[in-house]
Amino acid sequence: MIRIHRILLASAVALGTGGPAVQAQELIVGFSRDADTLDPANHRNRETETIIRNLYDGILTRDSEMNIHPEIAESYTQVSPTVYEFKIRQGIRFHDGSEMTVEDVKFSLDRITVEGAMEGQTSPRRDLMGPVASVEIVGEDTIRVNLSEPWPLLPAMLPNQQVVSKAHVEAVGSDGMATQPMGTGPFRLIDWRRGDSVIMERFDDYYGGADGIPPVEAACVERVIFQVIPESASRVAALLSGDVHIINELPPHSINQVANNPGTEVMTVNGTRSFFIAMNNESEIFSDLRVRQAVAHAIDRDLIIDRILGGNAARIEGILSPDAFGKNQDLPVYEYDPERARALLAEAGYPDGIDVTIDTDGPQRDTAEAIAALLTNAGIRTQVVIGEGAMLTPKWRTEGAPKSGDMYLSSWGNGSLDPYDIFVPTHRSHDRGNSAGYANPELDALLDAAGIEVDRERRAEMYREAEAIVNADLPYVYLWVPQDIYGVSSRLSGWSPSPDSRINLHDACLD
Amino acid sequence: MSLTRLLERLFQLVPVLLGVSVIVFVMMALTPGDPVQIMIGDQNVSPEQVEQMRRDLGLDRPVHERFFVFLGNAVQFDFGQSFYHRRPVADVIIERLPATIELTVVAMLIALVTAIPLGVLAAVKKNSFPDRIATVGSLLGVSLPGFWFGILLLMLFAVHLNLLPVAGRINFGVSQGITPYTHFLLIDTLLNGRLDAFRNALAHIILPAITLGLPMTAILMRVTRTSMLEVMRQDYVTFAEAKGLSRTRVIFRHALKNALIPTVSVAAIETGSLLGGNMIVETVFGWPGLGRLVVESIFVRNYPLVQAAVLFYAVVYVMLNFFADILYTVLNPRVKL
Amino acid sequence: MSVAEQIPAPAPVADSIFRRNLRTFMENRLAFGSAIMVLLFVLMAIFAPLIAPHDPYATDLFRRLQPPAWMEGGDWAFPLGCDALGRDILSRIIYGARISIFIGAAVILVATTIGILAGLAAGYLRGWVDVVISRLVDILLGFPYLIFAIGLMAMMGPGLSNIILALAYKEWVIPCRVVRGETLVTRELEYVEAARALGASRWHIMRKEILPNILSPVIVVATIRMAHVIILEASLSFLGLGVQPPTASWGAMVADGRAFILESWWVSTFPGVAILLLVLAINVASQGLRDAFDPRFTE
Repeated sequence: MIRIHRILLASAVALGTGGPAVQAQELIVGFSRDADTLDPANHRNRETETIIRNLYDGILTRDSEMNIHPEIAESYTQVSPTVYEFKIRQGIRFHDGSEMTVEDVKFSLDRITVEGAMEGQTSPRRDLMGPVASVEIVGEDTIRVNLSEPWPLLPAMLPNQQVVSKAHVEAVGSDGMATQPMGTGPFRLIDWRRGDSVIMERFDDYYGGADGIPPVEAACVERVIFQVIPESASRVAALLSGDVHIINELPPHSINQVANNPGTEVMTVNGTRSFFIAMNNESEIFSDLRVRQAVAHAIDRDLIIDRILGGNAARIEGILSPDAFGKNQDLPVYEYDPERARALLAEAGYPDGIDVTIDTDGPQRDTAEAIAALLTNAGIRTQVVIGEGAMLTPKWRTEGAPKSGDMYLSSWGNGSLDPYDIFVPTHRSHDRGNSAGYANPELDALLDAAGIEVDRERRAEMYREAEAIVNADLPYVYLWVPQDIYGVSSRLSGWSPSPDSRINLHDACLD
Repeated sequence: MSLTRLLERLFQLVPVLLGVSVIVFVMMALTPGDPVQIMIGDQNVSPEQVEQMRRDLGLDRPVHERFFVFLGNAVQFDFGQSFYHRRPVADVIIERLPATIELTVVAMLIALVTAIPLGVLAAVKKNSFPDRIATVGSLLGVSLPGFWFGILLLMLFAVHLNLLPVAGRINFGVSQGITPYTHFLLIDTLLNGRLDAFRNALAHIILPAITLGLPMTAILMRVTRTSMLEVMRQDYVTFAEAKGLSRTRVIFRHALKNALIPTVSVAAIETGSLLGGNMIVETVFGWPGLGRLVVESIFVRNYPLVQAAVLFYAVVYVMLNFFADILYTVLNPRVKL
Repeated sequence: MSVAEQIPAPAPVADSIFRRNLRTFMENRLAFGSAIMVLLFVLMAIFAPLIAPHDPYATDLFRRLQPPAWMEGGDWAFPLGCDALGRDILSRIIYGARISIFIGAAVILVATTIGILAGLAAGYLRGWVDVVISRLVDILLGFPYLIFAIGLMAMMGPGLSNIILALAYKEWVIPCRVVRGETLVTRELEYVEAARALGASRWHIMRKEILPNILSPVIVVATIRMAHVIILEASLSFLGLGVQPPTASWGAMVADGRAFILESWWVSTFPGVAILLLVLAINVASQGLRDAFDPRFTE
């Protein structure tokens, strides 16, 4: 309806002025970062995926409430704990007009999961597909995904992979795929001006996208541009001046300004990134549970959320986001209590307090300094050390080797909202993201079992138990899950932010 | 300028480029941080895939071996694959060059256009009030952190007055149908006879170019003033004045021409430092240039790109110096190189 | 270097010329005033604890982004307002002068020392020493300044001393080139020849005969470059490689405050003005110095 109205209006304007061609309906996103590549199988970057997701569709997708819907698939069923079957929708076309077949779907998955499938190289996304062993075509419109072990996460992870055209990949090769996309998505690429913008236009033969996410039709706007603006103040400026219609990563302190500005609004969504302080459990000081508890009691998380994050964050007592599957909602709370913290320190043998450092990267500078001030106030005299991200990784993500620091203010993303993706890397002994150096065989066993448990309720119960364990052991101080904040033009409709930080513009309209 | 001299000059490039390569390579090798771990961040990965990726990127080989492979390939203009873009580094760099060069040249032109009149004025009215004002005024540009000045400009012209765009090189709408002969938008739009697009590109480049060029004004103004003073004391100028030619005529017809030689040579050399120093302006104004890419690449340990880009900067630096020398000899035959 | 080589060096009677030059400098009221202003900034840095109204590191989240006193919501106890952690901006500027001036001075001190030694050696000893040093200078000049500094910071890690080193590693080539050029001219002068004939050692000649006579241009270049280094430090802060918290350098204050510039302009604007005033004063004063002490650049 809106569209018809707009076309009428546009033609009226065009006729009235007798001017040049009608200005195309153009939706511009002020985006923090350029895509690394436009090849869906050859990157490991969320922003890149956000851009690609408008050109390519997946077998499954998510709506902005994180519900999973079949997209290129019509439906799917779990045949056995290790076999999933997907019925593929017919009549879907690639941007070059050719018809998409089950061959293309199998080819796309193979390209990601088979070793050496990309001209001898292996897709860096392979492990996102877990234990996928093989993909077979079992009929004209059906494929089967065989797993080497039960993996209940498959449907949650499939939206992160996209379907490519087999003929196109064979024609242009992996190098060509980096710049010449050929998908079935709602938009097709017009131009990628590296470092500047990715420009797409509406694909008129689009099949409409997931049935579960109406409207099922071609995209609303005629053109979409992802304009790269890395500096956050400049991004906000571009929104305020009307140059762009959506910006990501709106800083919390700019919320009031965007909200009070006529013509712009703020949109928030619960994020999926958990922030925490890793304490070096192997060090002399932090091997004592009482010291770790003292740290937890010394930090006034509500104050920081309120003053620095603009109230846009949810406090957590365990690693999981409040929206995550298997979240334990009844965890004991570590209340802000500096006196208690001092007492715990004294009990642990440090009546005069301790001197420690906290590492973090540039973007967390403010919160780290606020935390350090609170800790110092409770006798944990803390010095903030800001390091470049690339330098903190080898220091704190040592995969079991000893850590050399005291504390590390860090975070871990959990786009799928499934506990497996965040719990295992941060808490399983010696795992990649286990910056605390925490090692608990009981928890390891529990996490391993939960990873392959197919009964949903039993699995959720296992994660609730795991959270209770880490809440008591306290290898980390669990801080908060911030909301993702976007600034949008009031002319925008049909779009809302999504917790997985994707910006799908299929249904977005401009008035 | 004899041919031998030219060859000798080109030959001097070799030790410089080799030295630059060694230093960059050693620096990157000594820098902590693993590109594969950074790339994966907090996404799922198994130790096997980490190893696999290291092999694919050639990171499993010892450092000295990597260096010789790099040198061997670099001689053939093959700089390897960018870890993140998964394309040849040379392609990734070349795509960013037109934007960077266009911004640099426009910034330098703005600096010259401001600096030369100020310098002449300061020299002609030496030690007067206008001289002092011109000096202090030109020094303002070197006395501000560029990014701060850029953001202030952006707030004023883009947000409050809403006259100029915030980011990018041109609006896509007006840029349609323009054949990219040179990839320099200000030139391409004119070659295509598209004044609307030219205006749009100009509106995009003006703020970043002023921000980038401003610090250069002080240097160039000072050079112009000094050489102008020197030229004005030369015999032929005094002679011309004695012959009864008007002072203005002497200054503009005779003195200025000669006085500008050092200004232009210095501008040529300093163009190199502008080219290598625009990453901050590029970040503030979302300008799709090389500087921003190189800095991002250092942070994510994208070794091949950093190596190739630094080599590129070194070549440009040597070439510009060479060019400035030639300029100096050609315009001023009294100087022997 | 061609310009420098053509021009005769000052005569060896350094002392009286110094006095005359100093007088010329003081007669240039603008430059002299600027020098006084630089001095005031230095005094402010030295006596920061006595002048600053508040502890520059004391945070108070309830004063986060509090506007300057004359604006709505302001408070005269915090005349220039507060930063993102509720710290007094005025006190941080007063303390920040210490860090900014220290970084500027330390980088120039290190760089000039290396530059003088290398430049003297290259210019006086000539031969392979000159070849090696000149090549090294060429190579370092081939690197864009900031990219080199960023690379070094990535390699060495954060910290005040590393910032100073990262900048000094490249900065020294500038005094080095000046010293080398001057030395090349000075070594051929009669009085140096005479000292050589009398059997003075190389070390003695470089130190006692040449150095005092080439110091003027070195000092002029050093002051101009110090202004530049203060700006460079701000650039490093912009790129997230600045001083460690809670230390305040002016560059870091401007860089960290820029995120708030649209709604809380005071956080980065006041330290920005402080940089502007100091650096402008150094620049104007050093041009006055150049006019007075190194007149061949102007006359």
